[in-house]
Amino acid sequence: MNQHTVKMRELARELLSSGQVSLVLGWEKGNLWYKSPPVFISRVEDVEKLIFDEFCHNNLAKYLMDLVHHSGKIAVFVKGCDSRAINRLLQDNQIKREKLYIIGVPCPGLKDPDDAVGKKQGAEVKNSAKCATCSYPNPVVYDALLWETVPVNTTKAPVEELIAKLDSMTPDERYAYWTEQFSRCIRCFACRNVCPACNCRECCFDQAEPDWLGKANNLSENQFMQMTRAMHVAGRCIECGECERVCPMNIPLMAINKKVARDIAELFGECAAGLDLEKRPPLGHFDLNDPEKFM
Amino acid sequence: MKTIVKSRLAELLQTMAQDFRVLVPVKSETVSQFVPWQEGLTVNLEGNTVLPPKDIFFPQTEKMYKFKVKGSSVDIEEFAEDVQKQVIFGIRSCDMQSIDCLDKVFLTKGYEDTFYKTKRDKTLLVALACTKPQDTCFCESLGLNPLEASGADIQVYDLGDALGFVAKTPEGEELLAKYASLFTEVNAVPQKVEGFNLKAEVAGIPEKLAKMFDHPIWDEVSQKCLGCGACAYLCPTCHCFDISGNVKADQGYKFRCWDCCMFSEYTRMAGGHNPRPSKKERVRNRFMHKLYYFQERYGQLLCTGCGRCIAKCPVGMDITAIIEKIKEAEV
Repeated sequence: MNQHTVKMRELARELLSSGQVSLVLGWEKGNLWYKSPPVFISRVEDVEKLIFDEFCHNNLAKYLMDLVHHSGKIAVFVKGCDSRAINRLLQDNQIKREKLYIIGVPCPGLKDPDDAVGKKQGAEVKNSAKCATCSYPNPVVYDALLWETVPVNTTKAPVEELIAKLDSMTPDERYAYWTEQFSRCIRCFACRNVCPACNCRECCFDQAEPDWLGKANNLSENQFMQMTRAMHVAGRCIECGECERVCPMNIPLMAINKKVARDIAELFGECAAGLDLEKRPPLGHFDLNDPEKFM
Repeated sequence: MKTIVKSRLAELLQTMAQDFRVLVPVKSETVSQFVPWQEGLTVNLEGNTVLPPKDIFFPQTEKMYKFKVKGSSVDIEEFAEDVQKQVIFGIRSCDMQSIDCLDKVFLTKGYEDTFYKTKRDKTLLVALACTKPQDTCFCESLGLNPLEASGADIQVYDLGDALGFVAKTPEGEELLAKYASLFTEVNAVPQKVEGFNLKAEVAGIPEKLAKMFDHPIWDEVSQKCLGCGACAYLCPTCHCFDISGNVKADQGYKFRCWDCCMFSEYTRMAGGHNPRPSKKERVRNRFMHKLYYFQERYGQLLCTGCGRCIAKCPVGMDITAIIEKIKEAEV
């Protein structure tokens, strides 16, 4: 067992047995060595399920929205990206800070579970693409930091190259590229449902009246859905890359999200979502100095 | 056994494609699925496709009929569907079993679904035996034989450098006879498939679930589910659909499209009431349907052990682990 796992269990045990929290959100090991799915621990004897390894992809902050009526305090393990989601949810009044015990776990960067498929446990596995451009591996909000912070990786990730490639295309070429990507979408909504920025009480895609999104799977509806989502999470996306990881059709969703984030930064200045609780998202408030190029 | 070297498979498919629409498993950079054969494609003989073949008979979106209001009456016209005779090549035992499930749903119990039937009736199934299980395969636990697909017209075996063909139905015999010149007769014994990573003990599960509707297990099992439809849309047996319309002024058309019991609007009624208000009820329904209701109605499980849901669930929901939990639960 690695030292990280030992520390996680120690703290979880202490928090549960002292009654400081009544629930711990963490990760566990299942039947596949390259997956570490979420686990909900409410009994001290179950803390032995907790683990930390390079496959702890899930952003557990997402579950806090399910638990708004949970009585008692909740401990939640957060990597750097996950912690930004916590700040975002706090800013949107989706969760209450006093109900959380946030345990920061500086993230060394995770491995790509798709690359591990078919391999023996312990085999060499590629780094996860979503972690390659991560500028915030260290939690930005926490009550306890479980181990030493990690250095920030500055290598150029494939998604950056893809954005550069898309930027160099003509509008028609770019349209053709995205048409091909969105034509694959099966509309399973895994991207939306895993996204911590998607916190609407009722998603417009689920509304029957008005029927914003038709149920037919065709390019037009798929484009409408994906573009609406990209614009809706603009400025609130914490770039955890979960949407792209879970897409069963491998649509490069982070290329859109990162591109939009960059456009917003150009217009409104650096404003990475969820870093600073006091700083409102640029599209979530009004400032007299906002650019008004379109006026 | 009639065999053909793998390097000549393209030639066989190309010849077949002159007489049939031939669908083959193909892996691209982004996804693997069954697509119509065309020259230059590489057939993926390794592992199963990410997308199941169900959309060949049951497309995600399918137009049903068009209508036009004329005074107090309405003209209804069906969409003319030009269905060619088709061959699905390289379909695995698990997906063959899923076709058996779909056949039961769409063709039995007193109603035949025309949309499904027209395509199904014109299809010959050339199954491909597996050589080794993928990490998420557990068909063996469900009583399937990865070497022998039930319902196939022809069973194909991967013999290393060659593929062996054995006809299982008169239609299969006919198909092999048609292309006999391409095959060589060789004595060969297919290799056994061993080393399943996942197992599920399903004996007694449907009977036990009959008493577990109100069991606390569903609170626990549903907790981490995100309520997306990746499992259902990648499942070869999930077959729920919704009927919707596209209406402009006095005319329009009706279409049906895949639906998913994980979605909130799946059971939402006019007026807003939802008998499955939270993910607990939805998750319960999913597993009850797969492991109990379907068994009760059709005498078999609505799961084939293909493992696609396990491979792609964003939060690692694992039906084999859930079966284990059901088995251990106290009732």
